[in-house]
Amino acid sequence: MLNITNLHASYGGSRILQGVNLQVAQGQIMALMGRNGMGKTTLMRTIMGLLRPSSGHIIFDGKPIQGRQSYKISSDGIGYVPQGREIFGDFTVAENLRLGALKFDRKNRDIPEEIFDYFPILAQRQDQLAGSFSGGEQQMLAIARALVGRPKLLLLDEPSEGIQPSIVDEIGQILKKINSEAGLTILIVEQNVDMVLEIADNFSFMEKGIIVHNCPVQEIKADESIITGYISV
Amino acid sequence: MADLPILLLNSFSYILVLILVAMGLVIIFGLMGVINMAHGEFFLLGAYTVVMTDSLGIGFWPGLILAPIIVGLVGLALEYFCIRFLYDRVLDTILATWGVSIAIKQLIIIFFGPAGLMVNPPLPQLVNMGLIEYPAYRLFIMLASLSVIGFTFFIFLKTDMGLAARAVIANRNMAASLGINTRQIYRNTFTFGSALAGLAGAIMAPLMSCDPQMGLGFFIPAFLAILVGGTGSLSGILAGGMVVGGSDSIISYLFSPVSSQIVVFTLAVIVIRIKPQGILGTKRNE
Repeated sequence: MLNITNLHASYGGSRILQGVNLQVAQGQIMALMGRNGMGKTTLMRTIMGLLRPSSGHIIFDGKPIQGRQSYKISSDGIGYVPQGREIFGDFTVAENLRLGALKFDRKNRDIPEEIFDYFPILAQRQDQLAGSFSGGEQQMLAIARALVGRPKLLLLDEPSEGIQPSIVDEIGQILKKINSEAGLTILIVEQNVDMVLEIADNFSFMEKGIIVHNCPVQEIKADESIITGYISV
Repeated sequence: MADLPILLLNSFSYILVLILVAMGLVIIFGLMGVINMAHGEFFLLGAYTVVMTDSLGIGFWPGLILAPIIVGLVGLALEYFCIRFLYDRVLDTILATWGVSIAIKQLIIIFFGPAGLMVNPPLPQLVNMGLIEYPAYRLFIMLASLSVIGFTFFIFLKTDMGLAARAVIANRNMAASLGINTRQIYRNTFTFGSALAGLAGAIMAPLMSCDPQMGLGFFIPAFLAILVGGTGSLSGILAGGMVVGGSDSIISYLFSPVSSQIVVFTLAVIVIRIKPQGILGTKRNE
């Protein structure tokens, strides 16, 4: 589904991605882990077209997308939930959701019912300003907003950041449910080990701009020291 | 004391036209961070469209329709051939649009000469309003401006196109990641903002002596109205337009146009000192 080879990218004059190779297979949840400043967010932004790679290839669904404009990549079928959520705080919940559907023709812009099945809290509070939501609710809104665009691949950047643990669990369960019911492929950057152990099928570890280790979740469940080796300071 | 209602009505019609001009300016600035120095000349082009149709003998009304269309197309061309290469380079856009403004002024001088030109009054009759008699055309101005202001608010607050534009203003990268074509939004908005200035110029043409410098007389107060009102929301421009336009017209009537300029600028400085984001301004989040 997503095949990244030898990807290089710089940000603010420093070379952040230094030859990333990463494969995400159809239908799986891939967790991308690593310490801060190793290039995880830069990788997500580069996939999404917000940052132009200096070299390398990103093949999505059999088609090269590196260097394409973000709005086209979105239409290709990649949904993005950035770090810090970036919901539109001055807009209502309904407006935030509708923004996810604006790329479709006028008659296909209705919000699918499943969205509210996954996130019932959004259904009752559509007219509320998104900025008045708690962090966890904003995160749900950001995920729902991405899902409205009917992505084949969802990029999630640290969805648990700054959110209370019970909501993190809930979000993890919802993601797992969407993955198994709708077959949505997910690439998730996360520091919260408990959450990703719960939902991910495969793990990739990033260090200094490259992927240094790949393994299935079973391997980590057998030996959790693999994780601590890559993420603890 | 029949003067007072007339004064208030006059200043109200001035405020509304000022808001029209400022609205185009603020939409373009809010969305793209472009300070369009040629905005006053878009006003000028609108006015001269009416001068042209009037002198060709087809009268004022076709000119009023043509002005926003012609000026909108000029704005579209400016965006396509110039502005789109300069996004995120504020100083360069100021210089480029300033150059365009000079070029437009000189073109007008070449084709129409430097002297002031008059347009035949389209609605010369007076309307009896009980206490006073008031020019029908000024009433038309109020009605037309109010409708266009209302229409703009409707577009921005109630339609999908407006929602997309507001999203691009609030967070361009996120909007793009959701599949919104930000460049297309820029182009449409620049065209729309230009057309508003053209319409305002056409509306004002019959009340003014049209000369190549007339754009500046609206550009500066419109700019002040934006500074005073704030760029974060469209409603800021209503407040800014009322403060700047209201005090300008009332003081120049009571004292002189010169003292009104001094007062308006001082007022703008004070407001900006107290509320740097403008009366209704909010911080932009990048």
